[in-house]
Amino acid sequence: MGVNHRIEVRGAGKSFGSLQVFRDLNLDVGEREVLAVIGPSGCGKTTLLRCMNGLVPLSEGEILVEGARMTAPREGVAMVFQHFGLFPWKTVQQNVAYGLKLAGAAASEIGEKVPYFINLVGLTGFEGYYPYQVSGGMQQRCGLARALAVGPRVMLMDEPFGAVDAQTREILQFELLRIWEARPTTMVFVTHAIDEAVLMGDRVLVLKGRPAVVHEIVTVDLPRPRSRATLSDPRFAELREHVWGTLMADARRAEFEITR
Amino acid sequence: MKPRHGRAESLTIAASLALGALAWEVAGHSTSGAFWAPLSATLKNLWDITREGVLLRQCASSFQLYVSGLMLAIAVGAPLGVLLARVAWLRTALDPYIMMLYATPMVALVPFILSIMGFGFAPKVLVVFLFAVFPVIYNTVEGARSVRPELIEVAHAFRSREWQLWRDVMIPYTLPFTMTGIRQAIARGLVGMIVAEFFLSPSGLGQMIMMGSQNFDTAGMLSAILVIVVVGVGLMDLGRLLENRFAVWRGETR
Repeated sequence: MGVNHRIEVRGAGKSFGSLQVFRDLNLDVGEREVLAVIGPSGCGKTTLLRCMNGLVPLSEGEILVEGARMTAPREGVAMVFQHFGLFPWKTVQQNVAYGLKLAGAAASEIGEKVPYFINLVGLTGFEGYYPYQVSGGMQQRCGLARALAVGPRVMLMDEPFGAVDAQTREILQFELLRIWEARPTTMVFVTHAIDEAVLMGDRVLVLKGRPAVVHEIVTVDLPRPRSRATLSDPRFAELREHVWGTLMADARRAEFEITR
Repeated sequence: MKPRHGRAESLTIAASLALGALAWEVAGHSTSGAFWAPLSATLKNLWDITREGVLLRQCASSFQLYVSGLMLAIAVGAPLGVLLARVAWLRTALDPYIMMLYATPMVALVPFILSIMGFGFAPKVLVVFLFAVFPVIYNTVEGARSVRPELIEVAHAFRSREWQLWRDVMIPYTLPFTMTGIRQAIARGLVGMIVAEFFLSPSGLGQMIMMGSQNFDTAGMLSAILVIVVVGVGLMDLGRLLENRFAVWRGETR
């Protein structure tokens, strides 16, 4: 860990009424580091991400992004949503341009950047389509392009491939790895898939308990660039098993807790 | 867009209409002229009043009334709907009145409007307005309240200001709902128009029907009704066209 921390989480806790979701989280995310966050459903992964973006206020502690306390969404941070969050009345092109327009970009800049990012995510030829006319995977490519277009230094990914089918999910994982290599940013990647966490992350943060705390941070020492070959690396299997063991050790108990 | 009818359906419709026209003609010839006029006599009458300019004049009068009332209903209904969706206490306060007025057959209010406003143009516009405004308000409120919270979150995440949120999310989302309201208002406003022309100062197509009926000029009455039928069907189609035009993206739920 260097001194270039893009994100610093200090004693962060969040409660909704009397329900404490997580407490006392302390962690740093470095520049160009990908932190995968994994944990059982309801452990507050997504809430933590929203707090990092300033969409949801913390109950305790603080989160600093580039040294500034997050109390509201700010420039340099972009989010990709599990539900895609595309505007159904806007075309692919208009959706990608949305963030740039809000940021007050000049028409010439929009005219230059939008096609570039549409091409980067592989949507060239679909500019004029409405979201409902393209597949879920393509919708998320569009969501990704929209986030990338504003030139973020921090990307917050909220289970971005959670709503697409397994095959599309794999394709998009490798697409994201390719795009990240082309434009590396600090990234926090929330997922409930162990494979995905290990494939994407430089470190995997395992959240567990009620309220959730940092259970373990697993360093993923797999070389980059990563690709399909990474999946057959014995080290990948080891790490996956390790995270699996950490996460599932008392999963049965946790499941009963949830149902109760 | 997909054509609404296939070839076989179109033929069936044409045959059905031809049969209806024939029945009309036959019924007209086999009853007293005071009750029913044959289609041919009705069409002849229609041709006469068109040539004399009576029809155009009466249509223009009706049209003026209808459009004034409908435009007023849209101009008041849509912003009021948005306002009600946004200001919860106002919605709670006005909701019972809106529900009551929406449920009340507007015809019941006509004598009341007559007694306080008399026979001018304004009370007639008010009648058309009252017939048309509630579906616009009602659908706009429903639309604005059902904006998907994820989309608002996306707007916030991209640091949208409040007015941009309205421009980019709330209004585009609500528009198709308002259009559904307008489509309903188009139909209801036409009823309002005829009611106003019957029960307030007689004018336009309503007056033509009344006079035809009073003078046992059945062909004259039926021509006016026929014009209203054609206009009504045309307006319904226009309404549907408007609704579809503004809801291209509703394909996602179709």
